[in-house]
Amino acid sequence: MTRKDQSFFLTLLVPVILVLLLFIAAPIGQSIFLSFHRIIIGLPQLKTPFVGLDNYQQLLTDPVARHSFWITIIFVATTTFFELLIGLFLALMIHHHFPGRGALRACVLIPWAIPTVVAAQMWRFLLNDAYGMVNYAVFGSETSHYIPWLAQPATALVAIIIADIWKTSSFAALLILAGLQVIPEEIYQAAKVDGAVVWRRFWHITWPLIRPALLVALLFRTIDAFRVFDIAFVMTQGGPADATNVLQLYGYKKMFVEGWMGYGSTLSVCIFIMVLGLAIIYVRMVGRRLLEASV
Amino acid sequence: MKILKSTIIVFGIVGALCLGAQLSRAGEPTTIVFLTWKPNQPEVWEGLFQRFHRNNPGVRVKVQVGPHSSSEYHAIVTQRLKNKDTSVDVFFMDVIWPPEFANAGWALDLTSRFPDPEQNKYLRGPITANRYQGGIYGMPCYLGAGLFYYRKDLLNKYDFEPPLSWEEMLTQGQAILQGENDAELRIYSAQFKQYEGLVCDMMEFIWSNGGAVIDNKTGQVVLDESAAIEAVTFVRDHIIGKAAPRGAINYEEPESLDVFIQGKAVFHRNWPYAWAMANDPKKSKIAGKIGVGPLPSFQGQGSASTLGGWQFGINRYSKHPVAAWQFIRFMTSHDNQKILAMEASLAPTRRSVYQDPEVLKKMPHLKTFLPAFEKARPRPLSPVYPMISQELQRFFSRAIVDRRSDVSEMAKATSARIEKIVKLGTMIQK
Repeated sequence: MTRKDQSFFLTLLVPVILVLLLFIAAPIGQSIFLSFHRIIIGLPQLKTPFVGLDNYQQLLTDPVARHSFWITIIFVATTTFFELLIGLFLALMIHHHFPGRGALRACVLIPWAIPTVVAAQMWRFLLNDAYGMVNYAVFGSETSHYIPWLAQPATALVAIIIADIWKTSSFAALLILAGLQVIPEEIYQAAKVDGAVVWRRFWHITWPLIRPALLVALLFRTIDAFRVFDIAFVMTQGGPADATNVLQLYGYKKMFVEGWMGYGSTLSVCIFIMVLGLAIIYVRMVGRRLLEASV
Repeated sequence: MKILKSTIIVFGIVGALCLGAQLSRAGEPTTIVFLTWKPNQPEVWEGLFQRFHRNNPGVRVKVQVGPHSSSEYHAIVTQRLKNKDTSVDVFFMDVIWPPEFANAGWALDLTSRFPDPEQNKYLRGPITANRYQGGIYGMPCYLGAGLFYYRKDLLNKYDFEPPLSWEEMLTQGQAILQGENDAELRIYSAQFKQYEGLVCDMMEFIWSNGGAVIDNKTGQVVLDESAAIEAVTFVRDHIIGKAAPRGAINYEEPESLDVFIQGKAVFHRNWPYAWAMANDPKKSKIAGKIGVGPLPSFQGQGSASTLGGWQFGINRYSKHPVAAWQFIRFMTSHDNQKILAMEASLAPTRRSVYQDPEVLKKMPHLKTFLPAFEKARPRPLSPVYPMISQELQRFFSRAIVDRRSDVSEMAKATSARIEKIVKLGTMIQK
């Protein structure tokens, strides 16, 4: 690399680094800073004293936060599992050659292309207790049996989980499809010649070769699911009885509705640490798998 | 070197653009920004803005529309005001916000422009709600109070008078449901979603049983006393899933009103605006068949309704306080409150509008509301109200959702949390 090249590369890098610092490092730093202070925006007379780890201590004993944490875990575990499963199924389906494949591929992607707020609003209508399509599909005109899905804690949580699975499975499918497409056709042909049936071909060729792609999808989906906010915000606003009060929503309420900037930041920092931890574990795993796969 | 040079050029261009934008504004009328939310009848408000522009050629009002939900709108307004953002001049305040906005130094103190004699022309409730430590921080635009709507035709058919007590409402409702034999008909429809409206509805039950959240005289939290607990338990056992559909646990105002105007509920609790919607034959199946009055109470107690409504506030950091004042004075004038009352069914805050013959001709019921409006009770007036409200919403929602819930245990825990919050609020008064 010549000196000229070097300075050229540097010139290209500087804006990226600046943007990263400005829009990612700075807000995270700010949140961490705020989380060590007691800041209540409605009470400026209290100033913004440094309180050390007080907010974190409060978080550990906050029953609402604990409840939100478990709700979030349930949400992450179920949505990620089903999204990968359905995503894998969809990817295998649209990977095959058949007439109308292009159209089907486009259809599969539609839920993912719809903005979350619109999709959530749509699910809210579908699940309405008086005129929702879901009730009509299940009970027909027997309106007295209609179930208020979003008004019962258990079904409300299931509802936001289903809405998220519906919306994001196709994203997982897209990532897995990319993995499928790099598998050379020759391997399958060789396996066929050797007399391997469909199931064996899947288990011994497809599965090991798409595992890296699956891991990438897993990584994206877990991290995204941890940060769930919009679906719950639009469909239930955390209710009823806090049944869908996911961590991000709780943090939002603390920070923007109640004005506890310090405590709200503490919640965000904790979500950030959890997601970062997951990301590190995954990246290590994915990194290793990718290396193995490319050998 | 090259990087530096290009950076300077970029900043130069951006700077020049900003400067140009500033310069081009000179010589034009003052533009003020009014941050509001999307009203139910936007065309009525649009008409008011146009009237203002005709009468005040020197001021242009730019309207910015925020979310319809009070707490989400609150989040947007407070975010902009706390950063001393000068791009908002006038904003709408829910009746529960003035102490917070005053204490945080976001709302301009209007005492010199809006002195006592002027304040006396308004109803007492909204004025009290806008005062904080001797100053006044908002001008009441319209007020709300929980009202009791009922199907006049059905009550007449079964020879009932509008119920005075909640228990009576249940017995009447049962008789009507039996007689009508309509599987979709319910006794009652109201707002029980976990949001601000839940606090309003539940407060009315608690007050009408002689209870409260915070005792007015002693300042003590009394949510865990028997009056409040009985009222909450009554809602859980007799309203949710019984008198009202179970889905009411996810109802805000529009959903609950929808049940009523589709003819699927005999009784309904809502704000004054519902009168216009329910009597609009294009939207309502029961237009002309409804009556309205004070909410029932528990036996031996008095009816109570929660004070609601919206006020105009001026950003303390606004660069155009004079134009902003001109705008809000115009919007709260007798004539404009009259338009809002007659065309959007929004209850006036000025006393004089309640005597206006034209208003009374179109809305004869308005005068009968006046005592209820005068008596409407505010939710706790505190700069930390949003925190108190979150605790209350959580408590009420948990208590009414689960029939096996231990209401008194939850009330005790919630009271303890609210006491802590109230203490925070009193720390500043030292």
